[in-house]
Amino acid sequence: MTALRQSLELGLALCRTCSLAVSRAALKVDRRCPRCRSRIEQRTLFSAEMTLAWLIAGIVFYIPANLLPVMHTSGLLGEADSTILGGILEFWRSGDWDIALLIFTASIAVPFTKFIAIGLLLLTVRKNSQWEQHQRTVLYRIVEFIGYWSMLDVIVVALTAALMQFQVLGAAEPRAGIAFFCAVVVVTMLSALSFDPRLIWDRPA
Amino acid sequence: MALCRRCDAVLARHFGANTQSGLALVCAAAIFFAIANLTPTLSIDMAGMETQANIWFAVRSLQQGWISVAALGLAFTTFLIPAVQIALLFWVLLFAHAGHGPPGFGPIMRLLHRMRPWSMTEVFLLGALVAIVKLANWVPITPGAGIWAIAALTTVLALLGRCDPESWWSIAPAVKT
Repeated sequence: MTALRQSLELGLALCRTCSLAVSRAALKVDRRCPRCRSRIEQRTLFSAEMTLAWLIAGIVFYIPANLLPVMHTSGLLGEADSTILGGILEFWRSGDWDIALLIFTASIAVPFTKFIAIGLLLLTVRKNSQWEQHQRTVLYRIVEFIGYWSMLDVIVVALTAALMQFQVLGAAEPRAGIAFFCAVVVVTMLSALSFDPRLIWDRPA
Repeated sequence: MALCRRCDAVLARHFGANTQSGLALVCAAAIFFAIANLTPTLSIDMAGMETQANIWFAVRSLQQGWISVAALGLAFTTFLIPAVQIALLFWVLLFAHAGHGPPGFGPIMRLLHRMRPWSMTEVFLLGALVAIVKLANWVPITPGAGIWAIAALTTVLALLGRCDPESWWSIAPAVKT
């Protein structure tokens, strides 16, 4: 494979909205994409800073999301508050290990993986690292892809609360934890979207 | 399918649909979306009392004090964004099929591009399936027509290139921005 040249050397810039390669000479006159009129930057402005800010917000929200109850149930068997982890354990004990694993993946493992992965990407980009650039780009795509599946638990709690409206026989209500959890999903998605993967391939000047 | 020579990202995919089949898919999506929101996704019939739930019931059940921010998040990702996506795609494809650029093509395509990661119909489908398994141990829960509509909607939206504007730029090349 011949050495691949970067857009910087070719005098081109990519529109991140419609993927049109635009000559940088033309951008000096008009900073907008000639096809879709989005603003074009060689690298997304303040990408690393925005990614870090959203990442910190995500980690902060992740704590109450796991400590506070997400649902309150009442019925003939008494009342109970359940957390995300508590719900998973309940599935596990009752023998539904597959559902326990699914919720564990979506609610605990995915956000945690995102924190580690985005943190790793930010750290290596900051050091202008040449290490495993291909693998790190794949990692970024994985983070982008898995992100929104974490919304699963919010949907399950909402549907359960909507269905369990039998007063004394059984009722479920959402609790504060679910709002924090929803915030974690939104904020970590914003973090991943703020990251400009082209930074991975930049060589030290 | 074209892959990036450096990082193997998909750059372009052959899009097996023209504006006509695209338009047909959007109409199908609109119909499935309507059914999904008009019929129950899940229902419980216990001791003569019946409760039902679909996307809107789920959103409403989260409307409690400040927890309503979660209701807002759910309403956006499972109702508003898919609805706007379908409407905008219909608008774009209708004009593209007639052979000219729709008014507001550029801003619409940019909006579609921004909205794409936030459309969570498939997550709602999985959530409904998990809720069935979760509650089936306690109460007689049955899936309604809505769950099939959501499954169909997920498939159709996936076929529409997950509403990826990048693939749509190429089918309306004559459009002036």
